Amino acid sequence: MLEMRDMSKIFRTEQVETHALRSFDLHVREGEFVTVTGPSGSGKTTFLNIAGLLDTFSTGAYVLDGQDVSDLDDYARSKLRNRKIGFIFQGFNLLPDLNLFDNLDVPLCYRRLKRAERHQRINDALARVGLASRMKHYPSQLSGGQQQRAAIARALAGHPRLLLADEPTGNLDSQMALEVMDLLQDINRAGSTIVMVTHDPNLASRAQRNVHIVDGRVAEDPADGTIRPRPVEGTA
Amino acid sequence: MQIRFVLAALRKHRLATFLIALQISLACAVLCNACFLIVQQVHAMRIDSGVDEARLGTVKLSGFDPKSANDFNARVVDALRHVDGVQSVSVISGVPFGEPGVRAGIGLDPDYKQFGGVIDFYLGDDHAAHDFGLHLISGRMPSPDDYMPVTKFVPSNAPVLITRTLAEHLWPGQNPLGKQFWGLDTQFRVIGVLDHLSVSQPGGSEAKDPDWSVFVPAIAGPNLAGKYLIRAQPNDMPRVMREAREAALKAAPDAVLDTDQSHSLSRLRHSYFESARVMVKLLAGVVVALLGTTALGIVGLASFWVTQRRKQIGTRRALGATRGDILRYFQIENFIIVSFGILLGMLLAYGLSLELMRSYEVPRLPFGYMPIGAAALWILGQLAVLVPALRASAITPVEAIRTL
Repeated sequence: MLEMRDMSKIFRTEQVETHALRSFDLHVREGEFVTVTGPSGSGKTTFLNIAGLLDTFSTGAYVLDGQDVSDLDDYARSKLRNRKIGFIFQGFNLLPDLNLFDNLDVPLCYRRLKRAERHQRINDALARVGLASRMKHYPSQLSGGQQQRAAIARALAGHPRLLLADEPTGNLDSQMALEVMDLLQDINRAGSTIVMVTHDPNLASRAQRNVHIVDGRVAEDPADGTIRPRPVEGTA
Repeated sequence: MQIRFVLAALRKHRLATFLIALQISLACAVLCNACFLIVQQVHAMRIDSGVDEARLGTVKLSGFDPKSANDFNARVVDALRHVDGVQSVSVISGVPFGEPGVRAGIGLDPDYKQFGGVIDFYLGDDHAAHDFGLHLISGRMPSPDDYMPVTKFVPSNAPVLITRTLAEHLWPGQNPLGKQFWGLDTQFRVIGVLDHLSVSQPGGSEAKDPDWSVFVPAIAGPNLAGKYLIRAQPNDMPRVMREAREAALKAAPDAVLDTDQSHSLSRLRHSYFESARVMVKLLAGVVVALLGTTALGIVGLASFWVTQRRKQIGTRRALGATRGDILRYFQIENFIIVSFGILLGMLLAYGLSLELMRSYEVPRLPFGYMPIGAAALWILGQLAVLVPALRASAITPVEAIRTL
């Protein structure tokens, strides 16, 4: 589903060159639930941005769902992102001016889906996260947990091949965090591939596989047996 | 498809939307009416006077004894004819763009039961019709027998040359030749029809049409004296007029030369429309300032909304919006706001037009100006929003995601 080979991402300014990712190799198979952990500044978010086609990389190769996306232009990346990837953000990122129904409708409209199909998908997605009765509510009228469930529904409505979650429970209390985590596990059991970045080792342990990143490299990955010495947290 | 989302977002920003739409509506109302007034003024300034303006000048003298008018006329005409470059001199009662001459209401019957309107009468001696360069389209020019002395204001039972516009007004669809009308206590008979002969003060007199005038052949005398028409080559006009004024004063040292009215007709026209030109410039300035302010308002609001919605734009890009989708979003939003403003503006424009009609006797704003004003504001709106919209579309998703 997701294969990154010898990837690097270098941020350049006039005076400094920062290697956010270096010799980064990762292979996520279809249907897997992979969590990505690592200390602050280890490259987790950079990895997720590149995986989600939100950002480009400097060298290496990236194959998403069998398609090499290394040389796609902005338009093609947008279209591919819309069709194949669902995002769940730490800050929910619902559009505050639109009600839940319209929030879910926005990415489907970008895909030029027909009205009937869009409505069906939105109703199904909201029902799946238990918010069918709130579709006319605005984000500001919902609790944090409900907003995150709405954001998950928005991602699900697109029937993505890959679901990327960036600290999806970071802004929630522990009870709500567990509910969201349960929901993600249900989604994964239903066949969706999920890659989730988290700081929380308890949440990470609930995934099938946890990849640990340090200094822009994969330090531990049970899938290929990679184990590199971990530096002390916070020094990376 | 984005229209629904744009409308939903605008509903959440009602006040800002309403204020900018109100500004656009005011711009629309003023734009439509100002453009109409400008076109009217320009049209009025381009009026065809019906006389050979470039070759004509006039000298006006006053303060002479009417009893010696014949001698006075003879002396002045002779002096003017001897000015180098003068081709012809005639005695007249007035010229287009000069002071009002003879003006009166006329009727189609002796009792004025059928009122024909207020018209200008141009009286001229036997050289005047030729010197004016009047363009006859039917009938005949006055013959020597048609020239008669002026009894009070005009000759009695005089034959006249009438303009086509006035003839069509008085006798719609009929041949005006031989027709009669009454005015100034006498009767007039049409012997010829002129293409044009504008009233002395087009747009400013009581005449409802600037071409409602007649030429009346007359013999110079006590009631036709002091105003002279000079014909010369156009490129020689400034010198000829300067020397003509000096010659007239030398020939009639006791008379008073009207320095305001003693000029070439080109200069009289220029002076006559001075205030109209100022008005056109002022209105054009108001239009430009208003459009500029409106454009800046749109740019300001759009820029503010781009900054305010940076996170939303990033989210939309993350959800799959292309740069084109973001650009279109802001263009559609601007189109909707401007359209709302235009709708309101058209009502305002019509109301303003009615008020101008009532207060300043200007014609009603033709409906054709409204789509022109609307199109101008739509184009202005799209151009004004282009830079902020392009800036919004250039926001990369990761840039916005970083700020989350």
